[in-house]
Amino acid sequence: MTAGRRALAFAWRSLVRQPARATLGILGVAAVGALLFDMLLLSEGLVISMRGLLDRLDYDVRVTATDALPGTGPTIDGATGVAAAAAALPSVRSVTTLRIADAAFERGGLSTRGSLQGLGGTSTRRPWTLLRGQDVGGAGELVINEAGARQLGLGPGSSVTVRASCSDQREAAPPVAFRVAGVVAFPFDSPELVTAATTANSLAEACAGLGAEAADFLLVASKGDPTATVADIAALPFALRAFTNEQVIGRLEEGGFTYFRQISAVLTTVTVSFALLLITVLLTVSVNQRLGEIAALRALGFTRARASADIFAESALIVGLGGLLSLPLGVLLAEGLDRILKRMPGIPEQLHFFVFEPQALAVHGALLAATAVLAALYPMWIVARLPIAATLRNEVIS
Amino acid sequence: MAGAVLSAAAVLGAQEAQPPILVSRQLAALERLAVGDIVELAADARGTNARPFRIVGIYEPTPDPMRLGSVPREVRLHLPDLLALTRDPAVPAGSEHVEAINVALADPGDAQQFARDVNARLPGLVARPTGAAGPDNPFIVIERFHLAIAVVTIVAATVFLLALTIMLVDERRETVGVLRLIGLPVRRILTQVLVEGVLIASAGALFGLALAAASQGLINRFFQWRYDTALIFVRVTPEVAATCVAIAVPLGAAATVAASWALLRRGALRLARR
Repeated sequence: MTAGRRALAFAWRSLVRQPARATLGILGVAAVGALLFDMLLLSEGLVISMRGLLDRLDYDVRVTATDALPGTGPTIDGATGVAAAAAALPSVRSVTTLRIADAAFERGGLSTRGSLQGLGGTSTRRPWTLLRGQDVGGAGELVINEAGARQLGLGPGSSVTVRASCSDQREAAPPVAFRVAGVVAFPFDSPELVTAATTANSLAEACAGLGAEAADFLLVASKGDPTATVADIAALPFALRAFTNEQVIGRLEEGGFTYFRQISAVLTTVTVSFALLLITVLLTVSVNQRLGEIAALRALGFTRARASADIFAESALIVGLGGLLSLPLGVLLAEGLDRILKRMPGIPEQLHFFVFEPQALAVHGALLAATAVLAALYPMWIVARLPIAATLRNEVIS
Repeated sequence: MAGAVLSAAAVLGAQEAQPPILVSRQLAALERLAVGDIVELAADARGTNARPFRIVGIYEPTPDPMRLGSVPREVRLHLPDLLALTRDPAVPAGSEHVEAINVALADPGDAQQFARDVNARLPGLVARPTGAAGPDNPFIVIERFHLAIAVVTIVAATVFLLALTIMLVDERRETVGVLRLIGLPVRRILTQVLVEGVLIASAGALFGLALAAASQGLINRFFQWRYDTALIFVRVTPEVAATCVAIAVPLGAAATVAASWALLRRGALRLARR
């Protein structure tokens, strides 16, 4: 048996001899470790989740009129011409124009507000997943998400009246009747937000021709090199801004996404410090209670290194077992915390704050290992400097 | 000299002719602007129909948690100046639109009813009471998130506390055994342990509050620097402090008593035995 294994076996016996304190120590590390694991998942969770959503759409470049994020800035005028010019670029596979208008949806006595998207351009692909019915075909048809279908009792073949608000003037256009072709899932759907989509021409009709040639942004699929596509689009004579998915993520990271990363960093620091302090105290008190026993072992021939290794092994066992237990606990806790945060309005249903990635697991393990080492340093120092004869004498006369 | 004075007077006269604007601290720092500077503003990036304005003040924007992360590079104009700057030539003066109207009610308690009335009578407008904080309000959600993390932290701290108190009580096993042997009843020893627990927990809670009070400044300064905002991120209010003490002291005392209770159930001779 190697020295390391002997130290581990000895430390294990020490823990088993005092099951209550060992169990509580391990459970404490498990609770702290679960929180630490969750904070590590939170630090990159939104970014990973958003990247997944953007990549899932199969478009790798977004084009806007200004530096504002897609959907938050001014519209692109003459979108049809811009889309045609972009589609003609050798690096571009397809282009979809997307215009988003606020809308009121009415059916019978039911009414709800939401958004109506109008899609144009050269692409036949749709940025949604068909759940029931058919995709948008001809004029006067739309697809609607589950929230809209549920709130208005709609299904494929139903009729719905739409009052679109298509300009900054907030003037409601005349009501237009649409036929529901199908029920779909949009990637950025939130549970209560009603979203519908139709063709760009049908939306223009719903808007009574207002801003018929405008688009909020363009979705572009490159032929494999989005960076080259961005450069090609920037060279077009339209003064547009093009962003790859990574650049969009970068912009989001500069904004509100950083809040959770900062919170995660603060809580990770607090959690690790908390664990370090408490394990150090546990081990130190434990060592102080066993000074006589340790001195006796030293007198029997245990070297300083061996006695110190026992303390380190004890720390490693408490942190290791607690750390292992913290992973399933952390997953359960992350699900609960994710549910809490997703109650925020406008958060897409498929976006998650806590997303697993192997790197988080590696950092979790490294931080706990560092905690085990640092927490053991002081008690190991006590053991290494223990005067054998004086300690045994004190033990006898006390 | 005369020429210089005349020139200054001319500039002063020109400055007085410019409409006044306020510039946010962040924009002023970025563009190195100062009070008295003349700047040109335009409604588009090409600078079409740019107009000169005079900076009459630098202001600190009202912190807006909803815009955390976006540095407010803003100027404030009088509404007629803004409309004149941004009006589409096809739009006749007086028919421009605004994005929002803030309404101060004589009785703030009428806010819900007022919003309902506006929503019912003016299609196309959406009225929302500013004080409405439903369960889906982002700040309520964030508060709930922090509460959940606090609960996990308390659970972890309680477990560690129990482990520590078990060890500390075990250390005093012989003393307790002797006390039992000389006739002190279990209830009397438990009371003493409880008082000790309350004292230690109170001292710990006060130390924790002092640490929180000291660290809140650091945390606020860090986040205010990071986001270039005047928002306050952490505030240890009397209510928060009272809640912490109300949780920490009973929890600490209970952990001490629970650990001691397990020990006191043993016989006095067994406790005093070496």
